[in-house]
Amino acid sequence: MRKTGKLALMALLTAIALTIFVIENQIPAPVPVPGVKLGLANIITLITMKILGKKEAGAVLLVRILMGAVYAGSPSTLLFSAAGGLLAFLVMCLLVGRFGDDQLWIVSALSGIAHNAGQLLACVLVVKTPGVFAYAPILAASGIITGVFTGFAAQYLLRALKKTRIW
Amino acid sequence: MKKQNMFWLLLFAVLVAGGLLLFFSRGHGEGTVAVVSVNGEELERIDLSKVRRAYDLDISTEYGHNTVHVENGAISVTQADCPDQICVAQGKLTGSGIPIICMPHRLVIEIEGGDLDA
Repeated sequence: MRKTGKLALMALLTAIALTIFVIENQIPAPVPVPGVKLGLANIITLITMKILGKKEAGAVLLVRILMGAVYAGSPSTLLFSAAGGLLAFLVMCLLVGRFGDDQLWIVSALSGIAHNAGQLLACVLVVKTPGVFAYAPILAASGIITGVFTGFAAQYLLRALKKTRIW
Repeated sequence: MKKQNMFWLLLFAVLVAGGLLLFFSRGHGEGTVAVVSVNGEELERIDLSKVRRAYDLDISTEYGHNTVHVENGAISVTQADCPDQICVAQGKLTGSGIPIICMPHRLVIEIEGGDLDA
């Protein structure tokens, strides 16, 4: 793929991720547990990693998190989403090569756990209250559930994308 | 289905079930002393068993504003100017185990476990 084409595709993917992120932020939390969210923008991170590569996925993720804080979040939530996003990304990088295209849901579930773990860790460090760790079990569970969901979504999207000639 | 997929599916199912079970079995602990803190700094320490008349606490910091309702045996956040309102939705805290958290405001309310006289 030509360099300009790749750049345009990355910009497009970032815009899609950001849109998903902002819209998801408008949906009220389904359960009153801090940190639980669908994480639909994760679909784009997975897709980017699959079609462009790890470096590119990292760039798209970074821009999405930073701009997401500008559009939807607050400065103090940026820290939590950055910590979660970074850890999830690292796990995704480590695992994506070990699983097939039809096993993205496994990668996604594990990186979902990592995301929530990173977020919780950042939260505990900030508020200096170890009692917050009481949320670890439910955050692990929600990371798996939402991770499997977004993983399957990415899988089906990838399958559909492969029939096109976008890249 | 591939054997490997089955393994992961089972593992995830067990982890989800275990996580939910562990979480919902907590939060009914003993203890009546509530501690309200923002950014790790303790602002209020209230013995909820000694509260006679219910009252509201205004917690205003650089991160935002929360109204904390204190009553006999329970404490809750009734108002907050954070975007997600999760702290309000968490309802009343009556025992130790699971604290109320308002992440955008770095507010934590927890009830300390254990014996009161200790």
